[in-house]
Amino acid sequence: MSRNSSHNSSRHNAPAAGSGQEVRAAAARALVPVITDQGSLAALDEFSVVARDRSLLKALCFGTCRSLPRLEALASLLLKQPLKRRDSDVQALLLLGIYQLLYLRIPAHAAVGETAGAARLLGKSWATRVLNGCLRRLQRESEALQEEVDQDPNVALEHPAWLLDALRHAWPQQWREIAQANNQPGPMTLRVNRRHLDREAYIEMLTENGFSGTLCPHAPDGITLHTPCDVSALPGFAQGHVSVQDEAAQLSANLLGPALAPRPGARVLDACCAPGGKTAHLLEQFDSALTAIDSDNTRLARVEDTLERLGLKAQLIHADATQNDWWDATPFDAILLDAPCSGTGVIRRHPDIKRLRRKEDIRSLAKLQAELLDSLWPMLRPGGTLLYATCSVLPQENCDQINAFLERTPDAAVTTPEDVAWGQASGSGRQLFPVEGSHDGFFYARLEKRPA
Amino acid sequence: MAKLPILEFPDERLRTKAIAVETVDDDVRRLVDDMLETMYDANGIGLAATQVDIHRRVIVMDVSDDRSSPRVFINPVYTPLGEEREPLQEGCLSIPEYYADVSRALKVHVTALDRHGEPFELEADGLLAHCIQHEHDHLEGVLFVDYLSPLKRDRIMKKMQKRHKQLQDA
Repeated sequence: MSRNSSHNSSRHNAPAAGSGQEVRAAAARALVPVITDQGSLAALDEFSVVARDRSLLKALCFGTCRSLPRLEALASLLLKQPLKRRDSDVQALLLLGIYQLLYLRIPAHAAVGETAGAARLLGKSWATRVLNGCLRRLQRESEALQEEVDQDPNVALEHPAWLLDALRHAWPQQWREIAQANNQPGPMTLRVNRRHLDREAYIEMLTENGFSGTLCPHAPDGITLHTPCDVSALPGFAQGHVSVQDEAAQLSANLLGPALAPRPGARVLDACCAPGGKTAHLLEQFDSALTAIDSDNTRLARVEDTLERLGLKAQLIHADATQNDWWDATPFDAILLDAPCSGTGVIRRHPDIKRLRRKEDIRSLAKLQAELLDSLWPMLRPGGTLLYATCSVLPQENCDQINAFLERTPDAAVTTPEDVAWGQASGSGRQLFPVEGSHDGFFYARLEKRPA
Repeated sequence: MAKLPILEFPDERLRTKAIAVETVDDDVRRLVDDMLETMYDANGIGLAATQVDIHRRVIVMDVSDDRSSPRVFINPVYTPLGEEREPLQEGCLSIPEYYADVSRALKVHVTALDRHGEPFELEADGLLAHCIQHEHDHLEGVLFVDYLSPLKRDRIMKKMQKRHKQLQDA
């Protein structure tokens, strides 16, 4: 048996990084899969750094991902010749160094010195000189170099060209604001568990504990913190009083309210439930018999953890919602389809989406969403409600998707509310864009099955 | 003394049921010493012979804060005292870096042989009681993750397989 305490930390394989150089080396290693198009930042948790450096590690990695196209453009100006692929860790250090100099309030001498020094920890001492040279030149010629790269709007707005084109095409009025909002970190928004207390009571608890927040204007259980913090520091987090969830994501419970509130014990399906935020919110708010399925077993286990912490119960099934082999043939009163999507509404929270997502993905995601709609619709009872949700801002996944579904599904009627203060009408649904200091980008469409 | 390699979940050998030690001889004492060295080196608080791929009923433990009280249990048998159970966070040298609450009997009565083959009895509670039950489970081929939900166990299994792959690649 072993204990989870400080004295067994020596048995961890990765040495704990402490100094500034070690954090930067860890950040470079975490970024390599992203900049070589081989993976995501998801593995960040596996890097062993001491607790006080963890927030710096996260800030460095997320920030560098968020501004990647611009940092890469600057890097190629600074390097006399491109680095070899096997030196992508050195490239990552250079990007990190540029990011620190231009975007973070880290003293320049530390940003340059610690970053260049980190090359030694990667076993590439030769790169120290290269990095020092490039970063010092950036310090000297910062304005001219930035001006040069910003002539390209894709670089200035820090988005891949295909995505900026798609946004410009879909939202000729708002595309620039959407892109700018994607480049700012999203706020930390909480959802108060109304089975325990209401948000007015909780905001008092927050104030007593030295936090400050504002009640969300649209989500009735939401509080947006003025400064993000570690969840474990939140009063009552372990006891299930509160969860972290964006305001736009909290609206799914509002939208299902008319279908569920008057109908205790209603049979509800959450068709792609992981990681379980919306699942939990529905259970906090309504006394439903909820079935939650997901095709990813690992992510389903996280749903189980979340429900356990919040003291909620649902039937969890590891199943693929495009199939019906798991279904007991009893129709559902309501279905939430929070469909797999491009995530283009939550780029500010997952900046690696900019790099990982490809133009071709949109078509295959739209195809999957259509399959999910077609597969789930027969499971809804006549008179029942299906809520379609995505965290995308692309019409192919949203209004176009629902329009096509309505065309091929004669018994589907639109019941999306029009008299709400959030988002804008978009086809048969409502589109929210990411807003600085406020909610993420989301799309909702509410459909009712006409009685036969 | 020698440090022994520790089997890691989901290695099937951890599922072997151990057989009783007939005589506590020098071979058994050597095993006990090697197990203690292995346990201390890995910063564990308990180790069953099963974990070092020797399927005999031998357990070593040290639950003291200053690592100064090694305990040896050969052919241990325990019975819970009372109905009371309590959850305690457990980890396992065969499942590194994973911890979860497991509910076990709060108090147990143990009989076993010491390193000289002499029988002894012990009433234990708290961490020691938990640890005895955890190590005794190993001798039966049972792991603490068996008490968790299948979903969680599956997730740990994937995590461990990933870890083994990484170690192999490194």
